[in-house]
Amino acid sequence: MAQLSFFSVALKNLKRKTFRTGVLVFAIALLVSLLIFAISFTVSVASSLKKSSERLGADLVVVPVGARGFAEEFLLESKNTSFYMPISINEKVKKIEGIEAMTHQTYLSSISGLCCDIMPTRIVAFNPATDFIINPWLQKSLGRPLQLGEAIAGFGTSENLGLGLLDIEATIFDNRFSIVGVLEETGTGLDHALFMTEENLKNIIKSGKSPLKEGNISIIFTKIKKGYDPDYVGRVLEGEIPEVDVIARSDMGEKFLNTLADINKIFLLTTFLASVLTTFLVWAIFSAIANERSKEIGIMRALGAKESHIVHLYLVEVTVLGLLGSTIGVLAGTYLSALLTGSFSLLKNISAGLSGGQQATIALIGLLVGTTICITGAMMPINRIKKMEPLLVIKEE
Amino acid sequence: MSFLHIENLTKTYTVHDTSFVGVDNISLTINKGEFLSIVGHSGSGKTTLISIIGGILKPTTGRVLLEGTDICTLDDNRLSEYRVNRIGFMFQFASLLPILTAKENVLLPGIFNPGKNMPDEKAAVDLLEMVGIGEKADSYPSQLSGGQQRRVAIARALLNKPDIILADEPTGDLDEETEAEIMNLFEKINQKHGVTIILITHNLNLAGKAQKKLRMSKGRLVDI
Ligand SMILES: Nc1ncnc2c1ncn2[C@@H]1O[C@H](COP(=O)(O)OP(=O)(O)OP(=O)(O)O)[C@@H](O)[C@H]1O
Ligand SMILES: [Mg+2]
Repeated sequence: MAQLSFFSVALKNLKRKTFRTGVLVFAIALLVSLLIFAISFTVSVASSLKKSSERLGADLVVVPVGARGFAEEFLLESKNTSFYMPISINEKVKKIEGIEAMTHQTYLSSISGLCCDIMPTRIVAFNPATDFIINPWLQKSLGRPLQLGEAIAGFGTSENLGLGLLDIEATIFDNRFSIVGVLEETGTGLDHALFMTEENLKNIIKSGKSPLKEGNISIIFTKIKKGYDPDYVGRVLEGEIPEVDVIARSDMGEKFLNTLADINKIFLLTTFLASVLTTFLVWAIFSAIANERSKEIGIMRALGAKESHIVHLYLVEVTVLGLLGSTIGVLAGTYLSALLTGSFSLLKNISAGLSGGQQATIALIGLLVGTTICITGAMMPINRIKKMEPLLVIKEE
Repeated sequence: MSFLHIENLTKTYTVHDTSFVGVDNISLTINKGEFLSIVGHSGSGKTTLISIIGGILKPTTGRVLLEGTDICTLDDNRLSEYRVNRIGFMFQFASLLPILTAKENVLLPGIFNPGKNMPDEKAAVDLLEMVGIGEKADSYPSQLSGGQQRRVAIARALLNKPDIILADEPTGDLDEETEAEIMNLFEKINQKHGVTIILITHNLNLAGKAQKKLRMSKGRLVDI
């Protein structure tokens, strides 16, 4: 036998009614797993949106007026949409004060059967001369620029296309392309696109199979000079050029974030109610425990236990209970989050992995909340019982 | 300054607006190393008096001075220290913790006494042997007879080497032989270690062994 201590007495107390202990542990585990799931969901959506917009490396994104939503869908999710504006917009944007660098891209949606022999895919044509979005990725994956008649697949596209291998020929809008590689995963919607330089567009337009017209572009990415406020430059841009809408980096994914805020409210309410319920359950059970054990507590007090000793003893008991429940809850919640990621459309289209650090933080929050709730619920009955006059409770049968 | 001085002690119990005097204006001086016995009819206030001395019941009025300090005015921490360090209480009522073995029950006051070295298991087993149930060290209270449980409680009261033993009918349900053994133990502790003992008993024979005999009646001390 280990030396008698507060800890060993508390453990013996816990083992007295295993069913009751089990019910409490289960309740706390449920609450904590709900909490873990809610936080994981919110954090993974929010942080992957942030990562995506940072990954793009643009401060302001200029799109045709009214196409803001489409553009976000294209860049952050992987929706297949197309939107166009004349290339002459470039000149107007260039004149705006504070713009340091800019590059445009043109987006096409391929439709299988009609024009192309690949699965429906989003095609991104970029300008290699000015580009600062695709080139860095290209440099890493291919190590050389793309030639005419070559395309490179985004990380997710390679799976969709069923290639994953190099040197595959594909017909896209009646043009033969060799797909020379696969880009690294970026965590943006661009993972689901096929990339080519814009010199290919001439031939594609010539084929007549695409809705794209000569001199059209979809989007302009800009970088802002140091010392300029992106929001201000954005407002000037929209004011000076009525044909465009501007998305600031900080606003990117606003649509998601709004939905997310609503979901958060529901989560918050659910976890709050569950917390109140669990606290109440702990309170009720510990009230019963306090009554059951009042005589024993009186004996300990008569033998010289201070009020703080009694609190200590029950604090150990309730903390072990809380930690046990919370640990189970953290494991269950983490597992649940991983399991359910696939079944939420909000998470499916964006790459929603949590980093180890984030997961650890969330787990820690779960442990803390579960244990705190346990202690809160138990404290009231414990405080009541430690005050009783020893002789009077000892005499109770 | 006397060792233990009780001054105008009164305890009034109030139940549903009617008051009942349990201890009625008792004054008493006890010297260090004294062996005192108290007899009296059931309900005469013996447990009430000894509980106030042991610091587990607050008097309505009056003082209990141990070496000049009124224990009735101590805060919870100091009073608990008084109970754990100076008093060895043997309760009239069953008082073992059911989740602990005999040995662990004996050790229990040790964990409330962080100042001193925590007594080890051997000390507990020795004490149990002294009261004649060494072989029951690992039994739970539910596995012990009433008399054996009492003896565990006696061993427990001795663990922290108290200055004062308060024994409320400690041999109530023991056979005569065991009762005699326990009384011998008390006498030994009293004489060898100079421990002050206040013994409550219904047995006039036992009471006679004490140096000083008191009788209680209706909350008051009366001459024998
Ligand atoms: N908690 C209480 N509330 C009300 N009255 C009480 C309470 N405890 C004791 N009394 C009353 O106080 C009186 C003294 O009780 P006490 O327990 O001190 O008697 P006692 O001398 O120890 O009796 P016994 O020999 O039966 O143990 C009794 O008449 C009892 O009814
Ligand atoms: Mg009594």
